[in-house]
Amino acid sequence: MSRRFPKAMLVTALALAPVAIAGATGLATCDSGSPDTWQPQEKLTAMLKEKGWQVRNVKVDGGCYEVYALDDQGERVEAYFHPVTLERVKTSAE
Amino acid sequence: MSDAPVSRGATPVWDALVRILHWSLVLAVATAWLTRHSPGRWHEWLGYATLAIVAVRIAWGFLGPGHARFADFVRGFSATAGYARDVVAHREARYLGHNPLGGWMVIALLAMVGLVGFSGWLYTTDRFWGVPWVEEVHETLSDILFALVALHILGVVFTSLRHRENLLAAMLHGRKPAEAAESDSGGDRRR
Repeated sequence: MSRRFPKAMLVTALALAPVAIAGATGLATCDSGSPDTWQPQEKLTAMLKEKGWQVRNVKVDGGCYEVYALDDQGERVEAYFHPVTLERVKTSAE
Repeated sequence: MSDAPVSRGATPVWDALVRILHWSLVLAVATAWLTRHSPGRWHEWLGYATLAIVAVRIAWGFLGPGHARFADFVRGFSATAGYARDVVAHREARYLGHNPLGGWMVIALLAMVGLVGFSGWLYTTDRFWGVPWVEEVHETLSDILFALVALHILGVVFTSLRHRENLLAAMLHGRKPAEAAESDSGGDRRR
């Protein structure tokens, strides 16, 4: 039995450590204050439907509304919106 | 595979492809996990890489040599349950290849990586893009995969301690002692 095992377990523990850090993805952040001041998600969804989007899911991420949708071109989009202004927010992927 | 001991009492067990596939799968799964919220498509490509690795490993399980073959280590229910009872009773045999429980862990891990990858791919199709339940299924399957990985690591450590051999090192250099060191369990009944 070698002493490699404790090291292997440490490496595994470090590899799995990010499991503990859930929450915001960091893809975008909105300085949006208290959720009390936000516009309702339904308003954003209605606004996007008006534009021809097919909204699949709306989540809150980093103080923004995060929208999964097919846009008016039928393209898959993951888009971020400021919950007070409902303006589109650029993500670090864009 | 010949059971004749080679130099330094070590016999080749895991061929090069088995080891390369094992460690590249470890790397691909770990980096896919780390990039799960990253911008760009890294996570998707790593997911496809895990599926490709699993596909090659399954093919090798039928075409490969010796202990790489599923036929070498996939055993029926009664044999597996019997082995589990032997483990509890501290009298399980030592296997050069996978023991019956380890063999089923291999199958479970390959299947679960396949399911995680498939559900992830599904999420990128127009039909299922953004659909909450698909995302939840993908995340839940990932959690189950990591639980299996933890169990796999525990099993490797446990079996290594039981039979006084370093199974982690064996997956690196491919060799195992032909005869087990003095064992903590019922001796060295080789298979």
